[in-house]
Amino acid sequence: MNEYLVLVVEDDKPIRNLITTTLKMNDYRFITAVRSNEAIMLSASHKPDIIILDLGLPDIDGVEIIEHIRTWSDVPIIIVSARSEDRDKITALDKGADDYLTKPFSVDELLARLRVIQRRLMKSENISVTEFVNGRLRIDYVSGCVHLDDEELHLTPIEYKLLCLLAKNVGKVLTHKYIIQSVWGTPADNSEASLRVFMATLRKKLSDSSQALIQTHIGIGYRMMKL
Amino acid sequence: MTADSIKKSKSLSVFKDSAVCLVVLTAATLAGYAFKAFHLADADIIMLYIIAVLVISIFTSKIQFCLISSVVGVVLFNYFFTYPEFSLSAHDAGYPVAFVTMFITAFIAGTLANKLKRNILIAEQNAREKEEAALLAQNEQLRANMLRSISHDLRTPLTSISGNASTLLSGGDTLDESARQQIYTDIYSESMWLIGMVENLLYATRIEDGRMQLNISVEILDDIVQEAVRHTERTHPKRDIVVDMRDEIIPVMADANLIVQVIVNLMDNAVKYSDDDSDVTVSVRRENAYAVISVSDYGTGISDEEKEKVFDMFYTGGSHSSDSRRSLGLGLALCRSIITSHGGTISVSDNIPNGTIVSFTLPIGEVNLNE
Repeated sequence: MNEYLVLVVEDDKPIRNLITTTLKMNDYRFITAVRSNEAIMLSASHKPDIIILDLGLPDIDGVEIIEHIRTWSDVPIIIVSARSEDRDKITALDKGADDYLTKPFSVDELLARLRVIQRRLMKSENISVTEFVNGRLRIDYVSGCVHLDDEELHLTPIEYKLLCLLAKNVGKVLTHKYIIQSVWGTPADNSEASLRVFMATLRKKLSDSSQALIQTHIGIGYRMMKL
Repeated sequence: MTADSIKKSKSLSVFKDSAVCLVVLTAATLAGYAFKAFHLADADIIMLYIIAVLVISIFTSKIQFCLISSVVGVVLFNYFFTYPEFSLSAHDAGYPVAFVTMFITAFIAGTLANKLKRNILIAEQNAREKEEAALLAQNEQLRANMLRSISHDLRTPLTSISGNASTLLSGGDTLDESARQQIYTDIYSESMWLIGMVENLLYATRIEDGRMQLNISVEILDDIVQEAVRHTERTHPKRDIVVDMRDEIIPVMADANLIVQVIVNLMDNAVKYSDDDSDVTVSVRRENAYAVISVSDYGTGISDEEKEKVFDMFYTGGSHSSDSRRSLGLGLALCRSIITSHGGTISVSDNIPNGTIVSFTLPIGEVNLNE
């Protein structure tokens, strides 16, 4: 039995059935909510480990639910949205959602997202403040050194800042806006283009051409995977 | 436009027109002095003022300017060129008649010129409106064709999905395992096809005036290609996709989502029209100011006469394509529309020893790094 409890907030019955059936077949425990107040109540009373939240609820905007829940809880939130809502997705991520699924999504995708969150939840149990280890990558925050296996990587200050930001938010999709604000402070006209180039060079130094470590989410942002 | 800005632009045009009057009348007066220096007759100087009024009528918007400049022309002529000079009195008895004739001639000529100018403007506007209407009709026609073809295309998989599901609902138990498995597979693949179709449709709605509305920024080509490859690997998990890319960061000017869609469509075609055990290759190289992206397969290839037609809307390789190989009808047409809107080109060629290569180009982007 899987010990994770998932709260599914989805007003569309067939989609809700699809998600709950998938959860059931993979031994997750789950509770469901159709309306936003129900979702907020359940997330407070049952303290789920993961929330799957449809952005297009009939009563209030899903983004408001995220804001509300974030006032007292860091529970990982995966949002579900239709393709045409790219901007909504970005807003939801900026407001504290961790990941997103775009309709139509496959069952495999849903399970993969859940696994990413689980790996992160496991990681945060033995967290270290001075060192970050993920697969072959090791960041020593004290000395500011980055190693890939035993080889030391020579990163520029911006590349190092980017890598640390991604590492501190491992498993979470960070939007362009969030990254630019965190690394550069004030955004300039060429910030997004610069960010893309820096990410590409950083990825090259990390020998990550297949994007196994750092994923690009086109039009949205980047995420470091927990390996 | 706000009321305020209308007022502003109105007063601006009055100012501009007044300036035109001032300049032209001054020029006429100076020219008049030149005429006088060459001892030409008063009638010639009068002609100068009439020409001035004509010019003013053409270059100003309101008939009032023509009227005012006719009067001012007479007054200037009187002041500068009739005896006694630099006074508004005229001693010769013939002058008052000359003034009146001059005013009437100038005013009539000016009015006619102004009218002519207006007629030309109206004709131009009519022609423009006609052109716009024709383009609109063409777009409507394109949209109507698209909708007709799409609703036809959608009906087939929907019939299969709903029919198969209803079979399972009513008598699924009586079917043997392999028959049921076939039904599941059909439902799945038909709905996957629908998903791809809807994706394309979403992008096709962004076509306006035959061009795509783009959201262009500097993107890293590698990111775009990786995303498209990931997508294709998900939808065709059994196929081997080879990515042939040099270790180089290529920034391109692109609407990333649209270019991903183009590569996905090209790979989808490559997968569909080649054997399951053959590779599909995506390769990227840089050629001067352009990046060249090619998708190649080892399928049966495309004949030369078909190469011309594959980019037409709704061309699907004739009626002989079986349902299992149904392609996304508007795929290649959409690709071409997207690529040309980016200022690139797309073309088909033969792969060696067999198969097809579809290549397209994208302009290279420039980045000033924000260190």
